[in-house]
Amino acid sequence: MLIINCPYCGPRDQCEFTNGGEAHVTRPKNPENISDQMWAEYVFFRSNPKGIYYERWVHSHGCKKWFNSVRDTSTDEIIKVYKIIDKKPLPKEFKNKIKTPSGEPKVGSGNFTVKK
Amino acid sequence: MQSKDNKNSSFILFHQSINFFFDGVKYKGFKGDTIASALIRNNINFVGRSFKYHRPRGIYTCGIEEPNALVQIISEYGEPNTRATIKEIYEGMEVESQNRWPSLDYDFGSINSLLSPLFTAGFYNKTFMRPRGFWKKVYEPIIRKAAGLGKPPQPYRTKSTHFHHHVDVAIVGGGLSALLALKSFIGSEYQVLLIEKDSNLGGILNNSNKISKIFGKESSLWLKETLEEISTSSNIKILTNTLVTNYNYINHLIAIEDLVVGTKPLENIPDQVLHKIRADQVILANGHIERLISFRNNDLPGVMLASSFEKYIERYGVIPDVNPVIFSNNSSTLSLLKTLVDLSCKPQAYIDSRPGNKLEKDLLNVIHENNIPLFTNAKIEGCQGKKKIEEVSVRDSKGNITKIKTNKLCISGGLNPDVHLFTQSKGVLIWDDQYLTFKPDTPFQNTIVIGSAGGIFNYGDLGKDIDKKLKFLNLKQLGKIEFDLIESNDFFIEKLWEVKHEKKSPWSKSFIDLQNDVTTNDLRQGIKEGFDRIEHLKRFTTNSMGTDQGKISSINALGIVSEILKKKISEVGTTIYRPPYAPLSFSSIAGRNTYEFYDPERKTPIHEWHKKNGAVFEDVGQWKRPWYFESKPDESFEEAVQRESLHVRKYAGVLDGSTLGKIEIKGRDALEFMNLIYTNSFSKMKPMTARYALMLKEDGMVMDDGIVSKISNEHFIATTTTGGAANVLSHMEEFAQTEWPHLNVYLNSVTEQFCTFNISGPNSRSILKKVFKDINFDNQNFPFMTFGNYKYIDSKINILRASFTGEIGYEIYVSPSMALALWEDLFRFGEDHGLIAYGTETMHLLRAEKGYIIVGQDTDGSVTPYDLGLEWMIGKNKEDFIGKRSLSRPDTIRNDRKQLVGVIPTDKKNIIEEGQHIILSRNYKPPIKMLGHVTSSYMSPNLNHSFGMAVIQDGKKLINSKAYISSSKGESFEVEIIKPIFFDKNNERLMS
Ligand SMILES: [Zn+2]
Repeated sequence: MLIINCPYCGPRDQCEFTNGGEAHVTRPKNPENISDQMWAEYVFFRSNPKGIYYERWVHSHGCKKWFNSVRDTSTDEIIKVYKIIDKKPLPKEFKNKIKTPSGEPKVGSGNFTVKK
Repeated sequence: MQSKDNKNSSFILFHQSINFFFDGVKYKGFKGDTIASALIRNNINFVGRSFKYHRPRGIYTCGIEEPNALVQIISEYGEPNTRATIKEIYEGMEVESQNRWPSLDYDFGSINSLLSPLFTAGFYNKTFMRPRGFWKKVYEPIIRKAAGLGKPPQPYRTKSTHFHHHVDVAIVGGGLSALLALKSFIGSEYQVLLIEKDSNLGGILNNSNKISKIFGKESSLWLKETLEEISTSSNIKILTNTLVTNYNYINHLIAIEDLVVGTKPLENIPDQVLHKIRADQVILANGHIERLISFRNNDLPGVMLASSFEKYIERYGVIPDVNPVIFSNNSSTLSLLKTLVDLSCKPQAYIDSRPGNKLEKDLLNVIHENNIPLFTNAKIEGCQGKKKIEEVSVRDSKGNITKIKTNKLCISGGLNPDVHLFTQSKGVLIWDDQYLTFKPDTPFQNTIVIGSAGGIFNYGDLGKDIDKKLKFLNLKQLGKIEFDLIESNDFFIEKLWEVKHEKKSPWSKSFIDLQNDVTTNDLRQGIKEGFDRIEHLKRFTTNSMGTDQGKISSINALGIVSEILKKKISEVGTTIYRPPYAPLSFSSIAGRNTYEFYDPERKTPIHEWHKKNGAVFEDVGQWKRPWYFESKPDESFEEAVQRESLHVRKYAGVLDGSTLGKIEIKGRDALEFMNLIYTNSFSKMKPMTARYALMLKEDGMVMDDGIVSKISNEHFIATTTTGGAANVLSHMEEFAQTEWPHLNVYLNSVTEQFCTFNISGPNSRSILKKVFKDINFDNQNFPFMTFGNYKYIDSKINILRASFTGEIGYEIYVSPSMALALWEDLFRFGEDHGLIAYGTETMHLLRAEKGYIIVGQDTDGSVTPYDLGLEWMIGKNKEDFIGKRSLSRPDTIRNDRKQLVGVIPTDKKNIIEEGQHIILSRNYKPPIKMLGHVTSSYMSPNLNHSFGMAVIQDGKKLINSKAYISSSKGESFEVEIIKPIFFDKNNERLMS
């Protein structure tokens, strides 16, 4: 079970939170004026990277506040949490942590058990 | 030969004898005995049958790693797969062996042994494929009867509890290295929790003779003094009889504590505690496990790991056999040899695969002084016997075979650091060339591994190593620890995974995984068939997939595979050890959350009245709602619902709707928010009026419906379906916080703040007139979909004119404290007007007669408002609302979508069933085109026939045509497709 650092309450067990999927997927301003394709991108399509991932959580059994986080999906490490109104941190803030589609760290991904 | 008590052991209370039963026969053991040690004391070695071949199996180890001696505890709800090597006996305990029928001695399933060519690697996938159809009728029933470990336990109510810990340091294990580490924490600022699976601390000091003195003191005295010293330190807490099973992310450990060691679990007293531990730092000191060597019939009862044999002598006070044969490939067996000799038990032979000139001097001295037959550069090739070892074959370097008569063979194939928990924590292992094993290398979390768990087998290095690893904590230093050892300082092991068979017969097998009956030949066959990756091979052969996860054999399997593939073991890699470390029962996980504590039950303030008046309840989410009311004792469900439905339309009925979700929406921008959340437009709506409202998800599909009451542009109250209340609130919160944080709006769940009564039927107005004498309920003054604030006695109430039955109706919102009084008042004044209470089933029937949908019954998350014919609810002039754009997606504007229609049988005698399919022809044989299905169907007492609602392809176009419908009788019948409204089509009754 993860420990998630709610920006309003502090670190709490994961079981108090609900995951809200990818963060920074903004609802289009003028839905009527955009193409089906663009609307579908907003409604249905989410990225699923190995490595840096921006995602939303809600402290559903706590303060009920939504907030954003940055998690390394290959190790489950939560690198940063920030409020909804805060600016999206740039990927370069987390340098050397971005993985290519097939790359992953030598320790922590659970895919390697033995040092070669 | 026979076993013999070792009365020097201080852990067994020899003056306190205990009677227990194994397969119905009474035996005697002593207080402190495990089932295994007590059976060994009684010379019982054959304790179970194997999983696949039903071969006789004995006690192989003396601990958690046991693959064979799994038993069922009949005196405790029949708990299966209990390790006989762990579970302590108590007076009157009843134990049964597993996997045999009718008895252990005469087992019908052992015929599998003769069929063994069928059961080789991958047998599940291959052998039973042909002929077609045999799987279901022949193979599966046979396998189900024969396979499996034990029988399921009886249902029982668990009394286990959960316990949470937050500590600075958690130490896993309570052996020598853990105690040394703990010593350095004495009096420190750290809160330390130590968890030991045994009932005694000390590990190797209790289990073997390897360490005779520490700092010149007898090791038992040193242990006693150390424990006393530790007990004075208030920052240290120790859990014994507690096994750590999981090492999760962020140093989260799960451990299971046995509270009833050596006693029968009592009623109403907790038997287990599940500990959930979060630590800043975890120190793994969980020791090592000895491994086996594969040779012909290495599964016969009588084969036992050498260190386990020694543990029985020291820890459990029983010498399993006074004249065993010892077979080893490494230095660790010296202490066993010495222990036996000191107890005047002479081993029959000592067989070492290592060359004579490489054997330790101490070892050779003991052997020569005692004239023990020694075979060096030799191997046990196999053993013979029926239900126990009768004879072993030794093959020397020249290939000569010597046969030795014996009943016990102690084997040691080397030592493995117990790396399970370390790999669960996602740490990475490294191969150790000296000890031929994997040991922890790089941790992923705040993990330190000390002692043999970390691959430190040399006692001389122990103190220094712990000091180094704990240096960053600034603790007291241990310095060099002086040991007097019966153990070589230079561990030497010769690689030996498997000994070649001398003779072949179908019964001769060399096992690698005893619990799953996997042989070394299965590994070879798997690789030959292309499963040359270790994770694939594991699944194909089921090697190390038993409940013991191959604790004594998985490294051997890697060794054998690496030799076949001509690769290094580090290249072959190891499979990932999965949590839990050892099985833990579901009852410990469930804890107290069972039966009435499984989920909260929510009851309305009228619940007791309902009970008194014959309500039969149904569960709606967590709520208990009256489903129907029995008016007389033998009234059936159908009779009651028909009676209630007729009655409401004729006179009046009241439904307890208090469970309905209610959300209050307030704030300067409440109107704008509501316009965005619902499909309807609330802008032109007058204050103190209400509206049926629809909520979509962003994909355009109907999510929930309810009635929205507008108090002002800054204040709304929305009702939701009973089951959807929590979802709707979090959906609103999500958009309020994440998409429109600029809107000033506050949301509050007020479901429990009000009770809601839905009174409807032609007489409802006259009843309310009597209850509330000052309120004018006339049509002009109180029209449909308006509401007002009133008083009932001293309490504020709200009355809304709305209806879910199609009759004239009112919803009364009252505070819970006044609810029962009002409810009873309704009946006092309503008695003359024929008022009854009705349940949810009648509500469903009546709404269906009017074609009102129920979200979640007539919709399934793939239905748009257009599909339901609810175009009129969409605010056409609104620029935007959730889901609006999706209503013009290519998929939502398709012509052939499924749409809501009504169906009635042409021949009114026919009954339409829920879930049946609408088809186009009377005679059908699958496959046939299905247009859609019936979502709701009822027998209407008001129409006098059956009717249904259905979602069918192109439904709107098919209205006024005929189709067919399938039935549970297997015959179809004709139905008319009509608009989904069946009763009072012009809403005259509703508006009257
Ligand atoms: Zn919070």
